[in-house]
Amino acid sequence: MNTLNRQKRDQNEEIDFSKAEEILDAYEGVHGALIPVLQKIQAAYGYLQEPVINLVAERMNMNASEIVGVATFYAQFHLQPRGVHIIKVCCGTACHVKGAPKIVEKFSAELDVPVGSTTKDKLFTLEEVACLGACSLAPVAMIDEDVHGKLAPDNVTQVIQKTK
Amino acid sequence: MINLIIDNKNITVPRGTDIFLAAKNNGIYIPGLCYHPKLSQYGGCRLCMVEVTERGRTRHKFSCAQPVSEGMQVKTKTPEIIKYTKSVMEYLLAHHPLDCPTCDKSGECGLQDITHDLKLSKGRFKTVRMNKPMRRDNPLLEFNANRCILCGRCVKLCKDVEGVGAIDFQNRGINTIIGTAFDKPLDCSFCGGCLSVCPTGSWQDRTFKFRARHWELKKTTSICPYCAVGCTIETNTKDNTVLKITSNDARGMNEGNLCIKGRFGHDFVHSDKRIKTPLIKKNGVLSPVSWDDAIGYVAKRFREIKNVYGGKAIGGIGSEKCTNEDNYVFQKFCRMVLETNNIDNLSNMKSPLLNTLIHKSIVHGFTSTTSLKKIEKADTLFFVGADVTEAHPVIGTLARKAIRLNKADLIIANLRNVRFDSIAKNDIRLIHKLGTQAPLINALIKTIIDEKLVDLKRVEKATDGLRELKSLLKTFTIKKASQITGVSEETIRKASALVAKPGNCYIVCGKDIEEDPSGPDTIKALMNLCALINTASSLKTDAGKISLVFSRLNNNSQGANDMGVVPDFFPGYLDIDDQSNRKRFEKSWDTKLSDTIRKGTAFNLIDLALKKKLKAMFVMGENPIVNFPNGKTVKEAFRQLEFIVVQDTFLTETAQLADVVFPTATFAEKEGTYTNMAMEVQRLNIAIPPVCNARQDWQILCDIAKKMGVTLFYESSKEILDEIENTVPIFSGIYYERLIRQSFNWVTAHKLKSRKYKFEILNPKSVTVKKKRDYPFLLLTGPSLHHLGSFSRNSNSLVSVASECFVEVNRKDAQQMNIHDGDEVLIESIQDSMKLKAKVTKKLPENMIFIPEDYEWVHVNVLRDNVYTKVKLSKA
Ligand code: SF4
Ligand code: SF4
Ligand code: SF4
Ligand code: FES
Repeated sequence: MNTLNRQKRDQNEEIDFSKAEEILDAYEGVHGALIPVLQKIQAAYGYLQEPVINLVAERMNMNASEIVGVATFYAQFHLQPRGVHIIKVCCGTACHVKGAPKIVEKFSAELDVPVGSTTKDKLFTLEEVACLGACSLAPVAMIDEDVHGKLAPDNVTQVIQKTK
Repeated sequence: MINLIIDNKNITVPRGTDIFLAAKNNGIYIPGLCYHPKLSQYGGCRLCMVEVTERGRTRHKFSCAQPVSEGMQVKTKTPEIIKYTKSVMEYLLAHHPLDCPTCDKSGECGLQDITHDLKLSKGRFKTVRMNKPMRRDNPLLEFNANRCILCGRCVKLCKDVEGVGAIDFQNRGINTIIGTAFDKPLDCSFCGGCLSVCPTGSWQDRTFKFRARHWELKKTTSICPYCAVGCTIETNTKDNTVLKITSNDARGMNEGNLCIKGRFGHDFVHSDKRIKTPLIKKNGVLSPVSWDDAIGYVAKRFREIKNVYGGKAIGGIGSEKCTNEDNYVFQKFCRMVLETNNIDNLSNMKSPLLNTLIHKSIVHGFTSTTSLKKIEKADTLFFVGADVTEAHPVIGTLARKAIRLNKADLIIANLRNVRFDSIAKNDIRLIHKLGTQAPLINALIKTIIDEKLVDLKRVEKATDGLRELKSLLKTFTIKKASQITGVSEETIRKASALVAKPGNCYIVCGKDIEEDPSGPDTIKALMNLCALINTASSLKTDAGKISLVFSRLNNNSQGANDMGVVPDFFPGYLDIDDQSNRKRFEKSWDTKLSDTIRKGTAFNLIDLALKKKLKAMFVMGENPIVNFPNGKTVKEAFRQLEFIVVQDTFLTETAQLADVVFPTATFAEKEGTYTNMAMEVQRLNIAIPPVCNARQDWQILCDIAKKMGVTLFYESSKEILDEIENTVPIFSGIYYERLIRQSFNWVTAHKLKSRKYKFEILNPKSVTVKKKRDYPFLLLTGPSLHHLGSFSRNSNSLVSVASECFVEVNRKDAQQMNIHDGDEVLIESIQDSMKLKAKVTKKLPENMIFIPEDYEWVHVNVLRDNVYTKVKLSKA
């Protein structure tokens, strides 16, 4: 029984926990269900926020540190709110050679956001990815489902504008 | 047993041992950094590779994850293995900062040792410094992630042993780091376990940093001076200064585990608030004097008081914190020199029937014998009125071991929903109403009888009174029990089944039972429960299948009672009114005891003082003004006295009232023995000479006696223990030298003759607590993890973590009164009032508040009266 987490959760009452409770109910007593639970919760809430993780910890009798450990191990989980548009700049070998770092830098400067974070207006999340499998178009970035190839720092602004 | 060959050496080890441990225990060294015998396997560091030949096949295996098998041949140092291990080390070192000159671990670092051992001087890789920021987010522990090799020991210790799980691996790949959830500042129980198992210098004790190199430290094995668990510690000193406390996994039942008090609470030894010289009150001010003057003055005053009013006008309060030897000499001094039997200790004053009840439970074999360590072998754990996490943290680690390795079930009966984090499959909480602990135990008994969970025929044969018990409980249905106690019928049934199931069950009976007005009834009910199960069992183990562990508060609460610092017994629970016992001590002490050395009528020292029957009080190492309930009365009682002598390390509230104060040595400067709550007598050793002008408690007593014309002559604690061995039957066979290696348990050493058990026939009524309209809340007090007595209060480390006392308020009550966490609230009882910061919690039932009683500078006892204290609460 993990009473500490419960106390922590008590302090947070603005969030609607009912969806999370529902998901947790469905997995009550199931062993090794942490990942599917986190996936469902992320789908419902957009990202894994602290009070919800504390609830998961309490209900699954785990420590929050362990759950965050799992959540930060897998790239699919997000602990920060994500933007409307997700920008994934490829940093694979080919793109790297073709100047990906400069592209990343430009995106970052243009949006005023560090890699891995979301802009203040919650419109963009900037991420680096290992390889998008489009090396012939290097350097390449993906914004939501659209692929933008042969990028140069100069046309980054334009790409952003188009997406907005 | 399994036979195998490691490096051409024939070895026999128990089945299930892994190669790593088999080698280690036989003096063969295999490098390895993630393996730790008290933690579960991980196999993460990859350093322990060996070559294994089994059934004709030779393979490379990780020795820490490979159990031995018959006929196995193992080679630990083939060229291939060495090459492999070297390259693993190269990887580990590629990112290591190699800042050994400023690392406290230097000299005892696993990484350093292996590097040295493999003669690694030049790596093939370019080394990179990670420069991860140092984490210094709490007063005690510092984390340097650059030194971490991600072996996972600290993570496992924190989760499995300490049950806290504050830290874990975060992120992935090269960014993996040991950290807290959401990167919050470390806010944990600060047991320091992570520090103790880390093979590198990643975790550092901030209180020790830069104060000494490892090899300059002298380690003295001793016993923790705080709670009644009695953990074995190592006092690390340099230049006669205690610099840190460490632990040795191989010594003591705590297996190297300590709590925050034991590990970090040692700095009081060198506190500048210690009393530096003897003090005598002159014109209302305590002023420094020489030892000779102080002793002469005390001897003179005691002689005068004795002459005018007789010895019985002097009261003596012995100490739950001093050694057995101090306490033995104390009662001898009082009885023989002062000629008074008005002596007691605070634990006996708080629960006067406990000694007799414990004795009874020993006689019937219900009390755990040999060691607290047995708890780790339990199949069921039952904590009754015991807040283990706060009061006796290392019992918690023993219990968690039973839960983890033995799949033990857990039952916790308490008024509050006390915190105990566990992974027990059956984890039952019996949260009951106030004053219903005895009916609750009876409900379990009733269920066991009704549902025939044990062989009742056997019980009937082996005991007396089962029929009476049955008829008494006839109308006490489970339904009724559930109504009275507030625990659901289903939960009562589940708990009964667990208690009665085969296997060892340990009941830890806590302070909430022992100090409650209904305590004796509950303890008797618990004994009935033990009898019911033990006599039904066909197993003939020494303590039966179920045993009781009585919690005691302080390091030597048990010892103070064992040593006869009580009005009704000589040392060893020998009846004081028994003529032969009297002869025994007269012979040993070579004296004729005064006629006043009799039990007399039931009394309590505070009452006696209030009635002006006492003129003087001699207090050794206690602070009753703060640590005894009903603080107002205690203060008043002390005000009636003409002459007060206090021996203590600090100028406590009691010492401030004294006419003479003697400065005494602390655990680090002392030798002798402490007895923990399982009656284990353990030895402490002198680590440093007395600080300031302090003397051993027993020495002061002998000095006063000498001035009063009686020679009590001892050269050392050993001689006192020898006298105890000679005189007190339950301690015969205790030898000081032997205690270095092994503790002595007087219950085991002296199997008391067992009688047929007769069931206690008790009416299972609950205590009714009268409501007072103006004072709607009930005040509960209890233990705190961070503090105990005047030592913790003078430890900056402990105060830095827990600097402010608080009052816990139920969430609903708080909402109604618009109280939030951290708000200041006013608590008023009929006696007094105080202001404290609120902590809003769901742990408490409604209409109750809880205040920890061991923040000694906050005198909670002034609020309390003798039974249940009612209070009112308002936002300040
Ligand atoms: S001090 Fe104890 S509780 Fe805190 S992180 Fe270390 S092991 Fe965990
Ligand atoms: S901090 Fe120490 S114990 Fe913990 S993972 Fe790192 S090296 Fe291992
Ligand atoms: S206070 Fe108790 S549990 Fe903590 S280290 Fe000391 S003896 Fe052990
Ligand atoms: S000790 Fe075997 S892998 Fe670490």
